[in-house]
Amino acid sequence: VTMSAGVRKLALAIHLTVSVGWIGAVVAYLALGVTAATSDDADTIRGAWLAMEAMGWFAIVPLALAALVTGLVMSLGTRWGLVRHYWVLISFGLTLFATVVLVLHMPSVTVAADIARTADLAGLQALGGDLAHPGIGLVVLLVVQVLNVYKPRGMTRYGQRRQRSGASRVEVAGERVGA
Amino acid sequence: MADPTTRRDPGQPAEPAPAGAPRWVKVFGIVVIAVVLFAVVLALAGGGHGPGRHLPGGDAGAEAPADGHVPPEGGHG
Repeated sequence: VTMSAGVRKLALAIHLTVSVGWIGAVVAYLALGVTAATSDDADTIRGAWLAMEAMGWFAIVPLALAALVTGLVMSLGTRWGLVRHYWVLISFGLTLFATVVLVLHMPSVTVAADIARTADLAGLQALGGDLAHPGIGLVVLLVVQVLNVYKPRGMTRYGQRRQRSGASRVEVAGERVGA
Repeated sequence: MADPTTRRDPGQPAEPAPAGAPRWVKVFGIVVIAVVLFAVVLALAGGGHGPGRHLPGGDAGAEAPADGHVPPEGGHG
């Protein structure tokens, strides 16, 4: 399936928007996490955790799912394919991994936010700041971003077979036209 | 049935073997394996992870009930 130029540009615009938005939302989440981990004020820590829960469920998870789906559409609807080029395959694998970890991790953020609603300062400080998951996630998303921008060379065996069979078809068709 | 458009003459040389993965893919794979091993070691040594790991009872995410309700320390009694 190959998309028309107009549809491809629209899909690309949506994919870029949600992908970069996902990175921005994770950076904002990290800022709240640092605040929760370092503040001595109970209301500030409580507010940070409540904001982290809302941001996670209502911004980061939807952006992640949208980036995954639009990435799949972009790969399957263009000449790049999903499994023809290593950079596309790795990029999709990392995006899928980050999305799965995010969705599995968010319930524990909800539990921490529920605790934060009623905990005293000692309890709030015991929650920490949830820095590891978003920190590692941000690194993964930046790797995906670099792969998508630089598109390093290298075709999979499947991609090489498809390329050869496509070239053979063009060659045979050319011979028939010339005959 | 073979695709007639890809049929080759008997005298034609065989298709070249597909090229292996480029160097950046191999380096990337090694880095990923190293990071995964490091994470596994950390998880085994640290005894769990997540924002609730400092709470009584360990990882809140792993031990929380399905409805997300966490009883206060010492129970409701």
